[in-house]
Amino acid sequence: MAISTLPACSVRAICSSVPTRCFDNLTETTAFDPKEVDKVVKMAGVRTRHIAPETTCSSDLCVAAAKRVLDRLQWKPESVDALIFVTQSPDYLLPSTSCLAHRDLGLSDRCAAFDVGLGCSGYPYALWLATMMLSGGGLQRVLVLHGETPTRFSDRSDRAVALLFGDAGSATALEASPDRTGLPWGFNLHTDGSGWRDLIIEGGGFRNRTPADPRQLCVAMNGANVFNFTIKRVPSLVEESLLAFHSPAESIDYFILHQSNLFIMKHLAKKMQVPETKIPYTIQRYGSTGGPSIPLTITQGGLVRPADRALKLLLVGYGVGLSWGSALIELPPETILDHVEVG
Amino acid sequence: MTQEEALKWFADLFGLPASSITPETTRDKILTWDSLGVLTLMASLDETFNIVTDDASMRAMQSVGDVLNLLRKHGKLT
Repeated sequence: MAISTLPACSVRAICSSVPTRCFDNLTETTAFDPKEVDKVVKMAGVRTRHIAPETTCSSDLCVAAAKRVLDRLQWKPESVDALIFVTQSPDYLLPSTSCLAHRDLGLSDRCAAFDVGLGCSGYPYALWLATMMLSGGGLQRVLVLHGETPTRFSDRSDRAVALLFGDAGSATALEASPDRTGLPWGFNLHTDGSGWRDLIIEGGGFRNRTPADPRQLCVAMNGANVFNFTIKRVPSLVEESLLAFHSPAESIDYFILHQSNLFIMKHLAKKMQVPETKIPYTIQRYGSTGGPSIPLTITQGGLVRPADRALKLLLVGYGVGLSWGSALIELPPETILDHVEVG
Repeated sequence: MTQEEALKWFADLFGLPASSITPETTRDKILTWDSLGVLTLMASLDETFNIVTDDASMRAMQSVGDVLNLLRKHGKLT
């Protein structure tokens, strides 16, 4: 069972990033009948989304966010001990995108850097890894970069996904906490590989390098199965996490859910009996950006931050894999939250 | 729930007058019973009846009567 509590580290800064180009689904979509578009927008909730040009990849979005973080924290690049890059839309099949970000940020050759190939559940997993690395001793500073460009792998003729996805990146700066007096962080991680086909890009990997049908280079989603997975797994994940981390729902300031689809998220909120005021939504403005939607919602979700105490957040990621997980963390008042647009 | 109440629930869900559907009404006659309609139906089955369905059983439902049979199978229809 992958449930653990670890000594807290400090979140020093979180910066999200999106491409400058903002696309309005209602006024700019020409590929579908306006009535159909209206219906999809109402249900999925995505009014606008930011779309990366062909020249912008996950590394570009995350490096822009990381540069802002390093600058605002006055961290010298050589002070970063490790970089974790979470993405399923890497710049290249190899090398790891972490190595590209390492180069662009001018990090030291004593810095560990590696990729994590997870999608919508990636942020809790990466925080778990970073927290273990920092609590294990030796490392002082870790950067978690999480970026996706799903508009590049969506089938533009499939209305189920064409109007849903947006692109985003993020950088989270974590530091070892010397006194370790804060609330321990909790992690609850799950996988069900039997649902591997429910969200898949079949072509382009080494099992099917050059598919005959170019649509196999785009994501295919079994919406009914994904919905079924979500309503079955997410409420029980939240319930199990709150119990395991001795944190009643009332003690959580915000439940930061992966922004998958407004209809599904609202259904989850009802099912989990969590007041909607505790679930920030950013999907209307940014679309479903995959795993980076969690840090994006932390910076852009309008969180009310008291000056005298840390916010207690339950971060919940779920999706492709199938993979899902939660992270219970604290966000102190001094944590820098920022957001950049990448031209 | 009676069959009449179930038909009203179904009609409301798909934005139809209750008088326009019967158990024999097939999926192809209900324009809103498309892929988005399937998700709406799944959500309502879960929320209203606590019935969680999967893709295979949703695909197998080709008429209003099939939905009523699902409710019956779960003891939700008298």
